[in-house]
Amino acid sequence: MEIISLKNLSFRYNKASNFALKNVTMSVKQGDFVLVIGESGSGKTTLLRTMKKELTPNGELSGEILFNSEDIRDLSLRDSASKIGFIMQNPELQIVTDKVYSELAFGLENLGVEREAIRAKVSEFASYFGLTDKFSKRTDTLSGGEKQLLNLASVMAMNPELIILDEPTSMLDPISAVEFLNCLRRVNEDLGTTVIIAEHHLSEVFQLCDKVAYIENGELKAFDAPREICQELKHKKIEYTLPDSVRVYNKLGGEGKVPLSIKEARIFLQKNNNYTVDNSHKEYKSNPALKVKDLWFRFERKSDDVLKGLNLEVNEGEIFALVGANGSGKTTLVNLISGVLKPYRGNVGTKSKLAVLPQNPRDLFVKDRLEDDFRLINNSYNELCEKFNITPLLGQHPYDLSGGEIQRAAIVKILLDSPDLILLDEPTKGLDSFAKKELGEFLYSLGVTVVLVTHDLGFAAMYSDRCGLLFDGIITSVNFTKPFFLCNSFYTTPVVKMTKGIADGAVTVEDIIVES
Amino acid sequence: MVKNLHPFTLFMCFFYVIFISVFTFNPMFLASGLIGAVLLLFTLDGIKSAKILLVYLLMIVVISITNPLFSHNGATILFFINDSRITLESLIYGINSALMIVGILIWFNCFNKVFDSEKIMYLIGRFFPRLALVFSMSLNFIPRLTAEYRSINSAQKTIRQSRIKRAAAAFSAVITRSMEGAIITSDSMSARGYSLKGRTHFHRFRFTPYDAFYLVLFTALFVLCVVRSVEICYYPYFEMNVNAFGLVSAISFLALAFLPFILEVKEALKWKLYLSRI
Repeated sequence: MEIISLKNLSFRYNKASNFALKNVTMSVKQGDFVLVIGESGSGKTTLLRTMKKELTPNGELSGEILFNSEDIRDLSLRDSASKIGFIMQNPELQIVTDKVYSELAFGLENLGVEREAIRAKVSEFASYFGLTDKFSKRTDTLSGGEKQLLNLASVMAMNPELIILDEPTSMLDPISAVEFLNCLRRVNEDLGTTVIIAEHHLSEVFQLCDKVAYIENGELKAFDAPREICQELKHKKIEYTLPDSVRVYNKLGGEGKVPLSIKEARIFLQKNNNYTVDNSHKEYKSNPALKVKDLWFRFERKSDDVLKGLNLEVNEGEIFALVGANGSGKTTLVNLISGVLKPYRGNVGTKSKLAVLPQNPRDLFVKDRLEDDFRLINNSYNELCEKFNITPLLGQHPYDLSGGEIQRAAIVKILLDSPDLILLDEPTKGLDSFAKKELGEFLYSLGVTVVLVTHDLGFAAMYSDRCGLLFDGIITSVNFTKPFFLCNSFYTTPVVKMTKGIADGAVTVEDIIVES
Repeated sequence: MVKNLHPFTLFMCFFYVIFISVFTFNPMFLASGLIGAVLLLFTLDGIKSAKILLVYLLMIVVISITNPLFSHNGATILFFINDSRITLESLIYGINSALMIVGILIWFNCFNKVFDSEKIMYLIGRFFPRLALVFSMSLNFIPRLTAEYRSINSAQKTIRQSRIKRAAAAFSAVITRSMEGAIITSDSMSARGYSLKGRTHFHRFRFTPYDAFYLVLFTALFVLCVVRSVEICYYPYFEMNVNAFGLVSAISFLALAFLPFILEVKEALKWKLYLSRI
């Protein structure tokens, strides 16, 4: 049975000349897990929001949206609230109350459920989502991943038939993102809840979903099972964002079943032999631009050491990527290098002029127009803006820019100070694959020394010269990027995992070369 | 543990004690109120409370000696300072005021320790569910704003400008951002049916016979306390006539003021006892 079906749905925002959605017709079966993909600004969010009555944007809507064969506009507010759940991108701002248990109860309170019934529901869902030991905690003490799980749990406590998620993992680190998606899969499988999710990072979610909808410029271009849609998306720009296994398959002109997991990709690569692997990498030596020696740091006198005699040398002109899990001290190290924090032993030696790109690039902007913010530092910003392709945005409010745009503007802002060394803290957070690619290419073209800390291994593999792993307060295994990833078996890229023992030496999809 | 009493019972206990402390000027009441508060604070906070208790002691001394310096009423002259007389009555009056002010301060301090936001929310939420939600939302909102302010401020450090200018810029950015964030929060609220009629209020408290017993006990003691039967005058001579009723009410207040402390210690002792048997 169809739970929701759209018929010739078109939508135009107030005062906009173009339609954000054009004649979208699709129907989702009960219990399906549907993934919506498309570039930024293609209309994914608009599409998802029109399916939730309370969140439908202002504008002109034509066509039909049927929820359980009833027009969604005729759905009572009560039914809409309880039967359709909606989860947004930002984990923090969706949380309404100050305690975990009260947040879990929020929706049920609104529905007017009795106190004892709420208590039963809330305890059940807290344990289902592994939030039992957080139950009495303040919501602001949770990590980003836990916050998003809480949002999911508090929507699920209302027992919806359909949940819609708009890029729920884009602000999370990769491990929390996988955890969140696994919870979502369990919800879909155990409770039979229909899931419609828009995502940028597809390697995990592609294996989970039953159907994929591809949106381009507000039109539904393809709607099919994941293996089938991979064929249809071949040679489109969106192909770049598909999981590495699919990209390898497409690149080698694959035939047969499309591999979605590492395991399937390994089988595929074993059967094929029309490729070679580029296992060369550049090694070079230059002068050190930054020397960190024997750094020890802790936050409070009696707390544990965060860094325990950390040593690091970064060479002039290179891009050094420091990877490590959440809470391993990456951001602390950035703050120590930039001088915001002081170590209690050891020193940071550099003659370079430093600039820092904070985790949230919006933090750099305080004025109402981008231009005014640039003027604070330097009046000759035109050339850099041209290079980073943000000249048309100069008159806009910094907060109106998209994730990729604000990231580029932030880089321009710190470059205006003409630094020799820039430190980037999680620069890929909240960026889609295209924005990431753009960022990486810009970093490459800068010619200044770059130190970036990230948990985005794919990004580090693509764009850094050398890598190091921060673990237990020190940097272990510093190496040139390629050998670094080839040596690791878990902390590495999907391409290394799928080629290990079959065609050693490939780290990224680009390293796999088709033999003609 | 006094914390585990039902919020309503607990609130009434504090209300009774503070109410009486505000309106009485009976030194027996004030002294027992103060001692009860000090003992409670000490059991709640342990050795950490020593520092603040010292400050309170200093306050008692300062307030006590300030009154005789400025008020020269009273018949019993102790000595002269610069031709102005210092009287015993005025000193007693000063000590009494000090006991009252500091006693109430410590009770409020204990109240803060015992009443976490959950209990306060419950008390408000019973009568004003929407107001309780606003309260809860602001408790969620403020730490987020502070964290945001900090991260913006430290990001701005790379830009050379004065501290005040930087703080002002960061502040205005935080305001803009919080307004933008409020749109998302309100979307999240309406998506979960906030606009529906008949909202209930969820809390985790249960009113048990235990709580009822203590509520009745506190109220009975309070009624006994307010039976006015003690006559006190300070000037020109300090006089206090205590009859049997007065004694009963004084003992009642002593019990009322010490009960929170006793409840707190009783279970700590029980706990120790159980441990020693293992």
